[in-house]
Amino acid sequence: MFLAWKEIKYSKTRFALIIGVVVLISYLVFFLTGLAYGLAQENRTSIDKWDATGIILADESNLNINMSMFPKDQMDEVDAEETASLGIASSVIQLEEETDDDSKINVTFFGIDGDEFITPEITDGDMFSDANEVVGDLSLKEEEGYEIGDELSLAGMDTTVTLVGFTENSKFNVAPVLYTDHETYQHIRASGFGEREEEIISAIVVRTADDTLEEVSIGTDDLELYEINEFISNLPGYNAQVLTFGLMIGFLVLIAAMIIGIFIYVLTLQKSSMLGVMKAQGISSTYIGKSVVGQTFLLSTIGVLTGLGLTLGTGLALPNAVPFQNNGLFFVSITTLLIVVALLGAFFSVRTVVKIDPLEAID
Amino acid sequence: MKLIELKDVTKSFDDGRKKIEALKTTNFSVEEGEFVSIIGPSGSGKSTFLTIIGGLQTPSKGKVYINDEQFSELAEKERAKKRFREIGFILQASNLIPFLTVKNQLQLVNKINKEKFDIKQVESLLSDLKIEELQDKYPGDLSGGERQRAAIARALYHDPSVILADEPTASLDTDRAFEVVEILARETKKKKKATIMVTHDERLTDYCDSVYIMKDGVLNKK
Ligand SMILES: Nc1ncnc2c1ncn2[C@@H]1O[C@H](COP(=O)(O)OP(=O)(O)OP(=O)(O)O)[C@@H](O)[C@H]1O
Ligand SMILES: [Mg+2]
Repeated sequence: MFLAWKEIKYSKTRFALIIGVVVLISYLVFFLTGLAYGLAQENRTSIDKWDATGIILADESNLNINMSMFPKDQMDEVDAEETASLGIASSVIQLEEETDDDSKINVTFFGIDGDEFITPEITDGDMFSDANEVVGDLSLKEEEGYEIGDELSLAGMDTTVTLVGFTENSKFNVAPVLYTDHETYQHIRASGFGEREEEIISAIVVRTADDTLEEVSIGTDDLELYEINEFISNLPGYNAQVLTFGLMIGFLVLIAAMIIGIFIYVLTLQKSSMLGVMKAQGISSTYIGKSVVGQTFLLSTIGVLTGLGLTLGTGLALPNAVPFQNNGLFFVSITTLLIVVALLGAFFSVRTVVKIDPLEAID
Repeated sequence: MKLIELKDVTKSFDDGRKKIEALKTTNFSVEEGEFVSIIGPSGSGKSTFLTIIGGLQTPSKGKVYINDEQFSELAEKERAKKRFREIGFILQASNLIPFLTVKNQLQLVNKINKEKFDIKQVESLLSDLKIEELQDKYPGDLSGGERQRAAIARALYHDPSVILADEPTASLDTDRAFEVVEILARETKKKKKATIMVTHDERLTDYCDSVYIMKDGVLNKK
């Protein structure tokens, strides 16, 4: 480390530039990770909120909750520790007094039974208690400026609903969720599918204490039980999104690490005559190699941590509408991965150090 | 006491087409406190001779003893260790590390040996060589003569028994060259080293105890 530090201190500009490149690349990686994670979360936060074990959908829906519907009384045949009925309907809302297209917002209505376990915690205002009252995702307030008491008109319907409260982290398919009771939900859903006599729901959410579905029985062939994770990864577009970003980030990490490795390699080649002199004096390849690896460690650690700091700072400064979200686990693993792969690159340079012939230092 | 001894050492290179005898059968020794210089035309085998003594290459035949210990037949790693302990190299273009100050060059030796750094010892050595006030300068900021004196300090610092200098004055003007050789001679006596200096300049041999002439791989005393 003695040699490594002294050299960095001596060639400040050169190493500042290298660290600068590392900072920029790791900033890019971390920032993209935050965005990808935030976006992925917006597909699923409302589901994660349930802390559910499984979900029951109509057998013919092919895991697509939008295509799943069945009579609510089928719930009686389901045997599980905790169950909750859920009706889903996409819609477009708008403040009643507004008419222009820009003010329309895509939302998903969750029709729920106020006393079942998927009922959200209210952070602001009250729970709905009457027909045509809704509780909305907090982003409606933070990003759209909605307030408690606002009247919302729904596309294709004459009635309006009243916003009575807000709840955090409730997005489904990147759109805010509006919770309402089953009665209101039946009206909204009917505007798309036509009125029916019986109450219709989309899914039954199941929670068990031991987190397995072994004890759950559904009692009919018309329904199908899925693990909640399987349901999430089959949300429309979700897997494709996660895979795309995952690959991009993976490649970026590799490229970043290779760039650090190449820099170190070029630096080592440049110094080879000096290293030859050191070896002629009897300084071992092990000592020189250690200082090359140590230097890589210093450069990559300083660079990656600065990049991480910049990302966290940017995260604070970003407007709410940007789906950026920090994830400690991802950030820690990417930090480690970047440093480890850079060190692997340094080992290539150590090989050249070993191969340098001290005899060439003479003459 | 003989600090350097060569017994029937030869070195030949075989490049496939013809065999070059760079060093013919040589018997040679240097005593403690003895300052030896080697002169001879280009290509006569001076560097080959010096690098064999320094263990940077092995003789084709014969044996090299440093400080009474067989040196040339040690394994490469062991040789490097012994070289670090027993031999101080001074090269033509100075063997200083560009990003270390004069003081740090010496400190590096302590770091490698995992010893404590003794600034007193450094200062007395540097003042011996009259470069005390340069201890915080980088090699790039020194003149050629100062650089070679720093290189001598570096070679002496770990107290080796042998000093090998391959044209240490090649980059210096006559006055500086005399100065550097004088210092080498003085330190050899004072610290009881065995020193071999290869040079082109015959006038510099005035300071030496004995002078050898290398010609076509044959070493003869002048
Ligand atoms: N590795 C090698 N392979 C083949 N031939 C070599 C090798 N090293 C040295 N020689 C040959 O051995 C001879 C002696 O070379 P050496 O470098 O010892 O000369 P020198 O006396 O130091 O010359 P100079 O004064 O120019 O430095 C030369 O003919 C050289 O070409
Ligand atoms: Mg030579």
